[in-house]
Amino acid sequence: MTCKDLQQQFDAYLYGELPSSERDSLESHLKECAACQSELKQLRRLHALIRERRSPEIPPHWLVRCRQRLEEAIEREEHGWRRLAADWFSVAPGNFPSRLAAMLTLILFGFGLGWVLRPGASKVVPATRQTPQLASFLGGDLGHISSISQVSPDPESNKVRITLNAEHRVTLEGSLDDPHIRQILVDAVKSYNNPGIRLDTLDALKERSDNPMIQNALLYALQRDPNAGVRLEALRCVREMNWNPELQQALIEAVRRDANPGVRVAAADALVQHALSQQDRSLLPVLQNFAETDSNMYIRLKAMAAVHELRQTP
Amino acid sequence: MDGACLELSSKNSAQDASATGAEDVFLIQRAQAGDRVAFETLVRMYDREVLKLAVRMVGSPEEAADLYQEVFLKVYRSLNRFHFQSAFSTWLYRVVTNVCLDHLRRQKRRMEVQGPASEDEKTEFFQTVAEERPALDPERQLRAKEIDGRLRSALTGLNPRERMIFELRHYEGMRLRAISEVCGTTEDTVKNCLFRVTQKLREALGDLM
Repeated sequence: MTCKDLQQQFDAYLYGELPSSERDSLESHLKECAACQSELKQLRRLHALIRERRSPEIPPHWLVRCRQRLEEAIEREEHGWRRLAADWFSVAPGNFPSRLAAMLTLILFGFGLGWVLRPGASKVVPATRQTPQLASFLGGDLGHISSISQVSPDPESNKVRITLNAEHRVTLEGSLDDPHIRQILVDAVKSYNNPGIRLDTLDALKERSDNPMIQNALLYALQRDPNAGVRLEALRCVREMNWNPELQQALIEAVRRDANPGVRVAAADALVQHALSQQDRSLLPVLQNFAETDSNMYIRLKAMAAVHELRQTP
Repeated sequence: MDGACLELSSKNSAQDASATGAEDVFLIQRAQAGDRVAFETLVRMYDREVLKLAVRMVGSPEEAADLYQEVFLKVYRSLNRFHFQSAFSTWLYRVVTNVCLDHLRRQKRRMEVQGPASEDEKTEFFQTVAEERPALDPERQLRAKEIDGRLRSALTGLNPRERMIFELRHYEGMRLRAISEVCGTTEDTVKNCLFRVTQKLREALGDLM
């Protein structure tokens, strides 16, 4: 090998990535060649200079901004045309041309439907909040429910009393096993304007937190209720539920996004309590992330302690 | 050839597959199943380094933020095509490399048409960046600043692919083999490229050495 060939190996030699046989022969050549020694010295200096280059430290607020923008972009992607098209093409049967033809047909059908239902084309019946089952349950003569004025669970009889304002004020009483009662209460959690009623409704619903429809309503309240007190109550209710992926996701989302520190702390407590009591190591990455990045010191410390404890256990 | 870096497909490499840690595997599988929290956690494990690399490659924080977004959106869209046949980090850096090289090529074309953009904006960010070694005396700080400026100027003389390989080796600390996989080329090609870069930098920085 010539000096020039060997000099091409110098970078790898300095990186410590030269195979031992090549390194040995290079080192024995270096002992005898002053030109290569000088060349290697120069290269060491260059590497030292390269190491002196300042590393761009990323200001935390800037990283946060990037992450927010990414989340928004993904959110748009999830609900945008791209997702719609992707879902369609992945679900619709048949080969590509037939899917395309079906898609075009759907678009034409949509335009047709829009034309038929255009304003003035026919009488549009206003939607009411009343389901057919509810109408028959209420006797069909109440019109739509304008509000709920009271929800009173009775723990002793296991019944719930609901006072509805329709055309007349009506008081209903029934068990949560009754699908109509459940329907009204679930509706109340999701829709009614009065936070006090929503709190009372949650209180009534938590007795049947094993029911999927009720679970859904409780998680809905935890994630979307505009009132922090209601979200906090919903969080207390969901802690009675059996652990499942939706619950876990809702709690993680609450820690990450809830605007109220009390709700965030309570959600973090619920996650930590579950992780430690069940030795659920699948939560390690999430807790680690909270420990490193959460803005709330209590949550960081709580998550850090949980991560430490989970890692200690075999 | 630069286009060789644009392959997203993973190579068969049992060794690399095992390099994806159990925590990563869990997160990737959850993210592939549509778990947004898992995806966000995965992003947070790597995004600081990705952003740093983007800043070093393009200089401007705004452009780097755009590249960050492009990289992770591509990862989000194509994560289901990751089959654990290489380390996740290799796959991710392949995406980063492709996005950065595409950007630099577009930028080069724009500069050919419109002339070079002002450097003021690019240097501004670096001047506001926190100095990692506050204990340095003023003289050394001044020298560090000069070296920094001269190095950045010398690096703009490299072509995008040389620049990326240089960054991956010297600042991301990647081994030659990993770089060759990220760039879809051989170790020898990477070695030769680094040798060329070294020669160019020695010419540009000779008086500082």
